[in-house]
Amino acid sequence: MDPPLVSESSFSAANPAAYSLAELWPFGGSEPGTGSLGLRMGNLGPNPNGFAESSGNRDGSAEESTVTEQSGGGGGSRKKRKEVSSEDESSKMVSTSSANDLLSESNGKRMKVAGSCDDNDGSKAEVEASSAADNKPAEGSTQPSEPPKQDYIHVRARRGQATDSHSLAERARREKISERMKILQDLVPGCNKVIGKALVLDEIINYIQSLQRQVEFLSMKLEAVNSRMGMNPVMDGFPPKDLGSQPFDASGMILGSQAMREYPQSSQLEWLHMQLGALSFDASGMMFGSQAMREYAQSSTKMAAYAGNERTFAGVTLKFKFDVLVIPSLLRSKKKSLPLTFEAGMQGNPLIDMDAFKSATQKSCNESGSADREGTGRSSNIRQQDSR
Amino acid sequence: MTQKGVTLNTNSHKIKFARSFIRTLLKMRKNAPSSSSIEEIRKRSQRIKIAAYSSMAHAVGSRRAWSRAILFKLRNRARHHGMMRRRSMKKRVIKNDPPGDQSKANKLRQLVPGGKAMDMCSLLEETAHYIRCLSTQVKVMQTIADHFSK
Repeated sequence: MDPPLVSESSFSAANPAAYSLAELWPFGGSEPGTGSLGLRMGNLGPNPNGFAESSGNRDGSAEESTVTEQSGGGGGSRKKRKEVSSEDESSKMVSTSSANDLLSESNGKRMKVAGSCDDNDGSKAEVEASSAADNKPAEGSTQPSEPPKQDYIHVRARRGQATDSHSLAERARREKISERMKILQDLVPGCNKVIGKALVLDEIINYIQSLQRQVEFLSMKLEAVNSRMGMNPVMDGFPPKDLGSQPFDASGMILGSQAMREYPQSSQLEWLHMQLGALSFDASGMMFGSQAMREYAQSSTKMAAYAGNERTFAGVTLKFKFDVLVIPSLLRSKKKSLPLTFEAGMQGNPLIDMDAFKSATQKSCNESGSADREGTGRSSNIRQQDSR
Repeated sequence: MTQKGVTLNTNSHKIKFARSFIRTLLKMRKNAPSSSSIEEIRKRSQRIKIAAYSSMAHAVGSRRAWSRAILFKLRNRARHHGMMRRRSMKKRVIKNDPPGDQSKANKLRQLVPGGKAMDMCSLLEETAHYIRCLSTQVKVMQTIADHFSK
């Protein structure tokens, strides 16, 4: 972001460039750049905006938050703006540079298409004519631009910077990318402190993955809830509020023994992991940072980590409780699988406090008559802790 | 000013998404006989996931590249489901990522729907919008789940 890149005097000549842009837009860019292009058109002059509106605002530039401050208003305001001053617009270096960038990007394309374009759209041609009339005088005063037929690159190099068109365009592109990066950094939690493009990208990727995983888990959870509701005709539709007061809790239902009994044949450990993952998300709430999410994702594959350390933090004790909650049901449904889970616990974590774990499980096994109740009670405990 | 616009937009997206998603959920509940095999369960949760994505894409409309990609994929899913999967698998095997930023960008391209055809700038922009929509989606789904399980 270096302001002197754009000279104020040269700015107004950016409008014709915008025309060629607007005109070429339907042909050149196909999908990918739609939104961004729309924004840029919004930022440039009055006339290209008119064009964008006439085309039904197909890119939805108003949708986007990125640079929308100027494009947020209607067409009228833009028209006004043009009258106000060129300085106002010239302060928006972004728009010019981005237009410039686009020009450079689709350079080859433009050269080809330019001829055919004029013939194709008459209405646009009209607009263009009027705009050309507007901009001609301004164009005369611009310094470094190419001949009028060619692309308009209105970026000025600083002292010591390369001045050939390629490096100018590249610089503009880099600026645009870094700007987008900033926006993304604001969007991704915990990404502000990270320095370096690669690391930021890493963080973004992780965040997206965590979000997608969350969607997956939530869909699993919703599936369980939904099918339960389907089975139970009384509770069809939205449940009334006082349903929560019943001892029967849905989360206990999801995680509890019924689900286990339903799939005695399948690999129970795997299912358990799935459930654990679901619970860890449930317990952790939604908006954990990506770091925490990654930890969860890793640890959900190892039950041991949950079973052992009670002392680390509250979340882990939660999970310990949860293990106790699940295992008795396992015990009841299929006795073979229990040693398996224990082994997993032992291997993963040598520091496991085995005595406490065993006693806890035995205790809950003794209560296995009321295991369901117990389980639901515990899960509701978890819920409370979570909400706290 | 921009901030306001954003929240308004996402709010409308949110409402649209929630509506269509709940509608699909209810439909599923009516139609699907709840069987207990794990395959069925997996299939159903997959279907719910797809429904969530598709209703998000519908809420956003075809204004965004990523939503367009999702809609396109959904439309063509039934037609060449197996073929596309096979092809994509092959591609993934063949491709070896260049080091550094480029590989990260490629990874991002894989994550954002429709990202394979984008250049870096538009990819980042789409990513921003996609993230925003995903987070609203997660919020809504969480709320629905909480509400149902209460």
